[in-house]
Amino acid sequence: MTGRKVLMDFEVTADSHTLAAYRARGGYRALAKALQTMRPRDVTQEVVDSGIQGRGGAAFPAGRKWQGIDPDDGQPHYLIANADEGEPGTFKDRWVLEFDPHALLESMLLASYALGVRHAFVYIRGEYDRPWRRLDAAVEEAYAEGLFGENILGSGFACDLFVFRGAGAYVCGEASSLLGSIEGTRAYPRNRPPRMTVRGLYQAPTVVNNVETLASVAWIVRNGARAFREIGTEKSPGTRLISVSGHIRKPGVYEVELGYSWAKFLHEDCGGLLCNKALKAVIPGGISSAVLTGKDAKVLTAGEVEDLTLDHEKLRAAGSSLGSGGMIVIAEGTCMVRLLQIMLRFYHHESCGQCTPCREGTGWMHRVIDRIVAGQGRPEDIDTLYHVARFNDGTTICGLGDAAGYAATAMLDNFRDEFEYFIEHRHSKFGGNLECR
Amino acid sequence: MPVIFINGEAVETGEHRTVLQAALANGFYVPHFCWHPELSIVGNCRVCVVEQEGRGVNIACNMPVVDGMRVQTDSEPVRAQRKAMLQFILLNHPVDCGICDKAGECTLQDYHYAYNGEPALSQDPKLHSTKFYPLSDRIILDNERCILCSRCVRFTREVSQSNVLGIEYRGDSALVRPAEDRTLDDDPYSDNVIDICPVGALLSRSFLYQARAWYLEPTPSVCPGCARGCTVQLWHRKPEWRVKGLDPRHNTRILRVTPLENPRVNGPWICNKGRDLGGALERPRAEVAMLKGEPVTTTRAIEAARELIRASGRRVALVSSGGSNEELRAFHSALVANFTTFVKPDHLPQDGEVVEDDLLIRADKNPNTRAARSLFGDSPTEISADTELVLVWGEGADFGAFPRGAKIVLLGSWLAPENGYADVFIPLSIQTERRGHYTNFQGVVSAFEPCCWRPDGVIDAETLFPLLAAPPGSTA
Repeated sequence: MTGRKVLMDFEVTADSHTLAAYRARGGYRALAKALQTMRPRDVTQEVVDSGIQGRGGAAFPAGRKWQGIDPDDGQPHYLIANADEGEPGTFKDRWVLEFDPHALLESMLLASYALGVRHAFVYIRGEYDRPWRRLDAAVEEAYAEGLFGENILGSGFACDLFVFRGAGAYVCGEASSLLGSIEGTRAYPRNRPPRMTVRGLYQAPTVVNNVETLASVAWIVRNGARAFREIGTEKSPGTRLISVSGHIRKPGVYEVELGYSWAKFLHEDCGGLLCNKALKAVIPGGISSAVLTGKDAKVLTAGEVEDLTLDHEKLRAAGSSLGSGGMIVIAEGTCMVRLLQIMLRFYHHESCGQCTPCREGTGWMHRVIDRIVAGQGRPEDIDTLYHVARFNDGTTICGLGDAAGYAATAMLDNFRDEFEYFIEHRHSKFGGNLECR
Repeated sequence: MPVIFINGEAVETGEHRTVLQAALANGFYVPHFCWHPELSIVGNCRVCVVEQEGRGVNIACNMPVVDGMRVQTDSEPVRAQRKAMLQFILLNHPVDCGICDKAGECTLQDYHYAYNGEPALSQDPKLHSTKFYPLSDRIILDNERCILCSRCVRFTREVSQSNVLGIEYRGDSALVRPAEDRTLDDDPYSDNVIDICPVGALLSRSFLYQARAWYLEPTPSVCPGCARGCTVQLWHRKPEWRVKGLDPRHNTRILRVTPLENPRVNGPWICNKGRDLGGALERPRAEVAMLKGEPVTTTRAIEAARELIRASGRRVALVSSGGSNEELRAFHSALVANFTTFVKPDHLPQDGEVVEDDLLIRADKNPNTRAARSLFGDSPTEISADTELVLVWGEGADFGAFPRGAKIVLLGSWLAPENGYADVFIPLSIQTERRGHYTNFQGVVSAFEPCCWRPDGVIDAETLFPLLAAPPGSTA
């Protein structure tokens, strides 16, 4: 039992994603309540009071982000639900899109009302086929019921929603570069300043929120900020959807009350490790856990995990973060050198190539680790990886370059002996093993 | 106005400026590759870093000035980051300065010596990429040298608006490429990307391997290709680098033409036609004066022209809209009393040429029409049937339209059939052989300087006109 629920508080059935089922469990009541009894700023204040932090990785307070937009400034504003879930190990938003799409749509209507948004977007990962079909069907249902378009629920409020399928590059999911993808240009991250709430999509103030963050808004408005605050911890209110994969018996998406015991989650709720192996390490929140936090996130070793709870403050103190909620469990006997090789291959392949350190650094690190794995490592390679990682840290436009560096330094910091062994003996200490046997 | 402190020195800046702009405008050099004053900010080279007190190291090109902020442009963390960025950039960049056309003008070369200057950290082989990819009939791209600063891409989007170039693929496989099978031939301003490329990735086919930058020196000049009158630099071999063994023409050729930045006229750009000015100036020259096609001395031809002017009844002059302000004034003061004068265009748009656009190119293909018309009016040319003498200065006159029997005095610079047909032909110097000014269509006056010697027998128009006005037999 992972604690109280916000999003997964119903039984998934063959039609639980439909409008009828959503209405039956109280759906769209929050919208009616807001349109009838609340001013737009009241909705924003409710989100501020709830203390909900962004669920995409940065954990930035969502309400504060919304406060960056003045709904009455006379400008067009845009809202984008970032459903481009490309982080390796992360597939928790997929659950919302497939099984509770109306929670997202209702929340987007509430956010649009709060922010003065006439046109909202869902930017969904191109590879997500079933989630896209479910979402698309839900949008059709909502339009048919007059929940989008003009004069919603007779309130005079108007909002249209566009579902935009992503182009298949990891960086398209980076909040600023997906703006370019929608605008029809190459999805390159944008420099800040200006913030997106000042100049975003089509140069207009824009809020980009993660799917899970937005989907929670309907619950918050329906039940009140105080009810939300009662869940989780004082500094990390609410719940998190966590997608668990790796060497674990029961991989999948779980909703966890923040502050929940990590050890209990892994060993009881997720059934423990495959093959009865001992835990070696956990990548806590997608392989780029720290992409947006700028902290020196790291792979957590088994000993560190045992004492931790799943919440932002504890993980931050441990030098990591909940990131995108994509938890990867690694069992004893896994070769961390080869694991790092896979991670660096990903970063190299997905680097958009816009800024120098990421473009060159990810490729540099990938080639070095490839050489080590090929048995041609040199003792100075470890220093080279540190050097590249150091100068990728904080020098790039978006967080991808940082994340690549974090991955390398985290592995080297925790498992340096494996790298030294590989270089010295020209083969893996664990036979190059990545599977649980 | 905000005041910021750069390296401890108070600097007053305008509103909405960046630290990089403020620094450069006040004599603090901050190295940069991707930033260009005329292009949008992308901040991708990450070299223009400065240290802001309390906020660490960040790029200056995208750092707005805030009143009272303090930045260091050359602190230890800044130098360390610049050095690291140069190591990244040079990771796959070939160190082929010995054969690179940009050597001597390459900012990567300069910055490497200033901030890095160490052997490569990586002992692994460099990545190879496409060499000499043809972007157009004029430009080739060396992808191995490209540092993906995207200046060229932004130029075609934001300045020339041809949208020809884009970037394909990702990471260190990314390549600058024409979009959807287009070529840079579609862009009449394409050669500017060669200038703004901070390294030797974009190469001019006409200049490739012609000369090292340090053999050359520029002379300020004005493009005579249209009424815009873009200021340019004509690059030619320095006298001390002339080689006897070379064909003499190679020693004196205009090897390339680049923009001479002029905010009032052309900013930092010129069109491709202006780039071809060097080739246009290599047309065969007329160096010998003629009377009805028979070679004579210039003195004899001047004397013959004087006699014709004195002896003729109705006289018409067609003055060149390519003459300099000084030449036009000399004609006006010396000869205007003797002639009914009309301004003629020396050049009209040619087939395939861009006639006019919103950036630089003007429909009037002559550099000084405005000055000529201000002196001689803008009446359409009318040569009545009783005209006895037509004085033609420059090119573009239709001799077939002249009255039968009218005598013709032709003053020109190039070999042409009309030279032998005229009763008197006197060869004139060309723009690169004299000093002068043009007034462009907006009224902006720009100067040009000589960079070549006049051939023997050729005379400056400014010198010639007073001589033509003098009585026959005089030595004035």
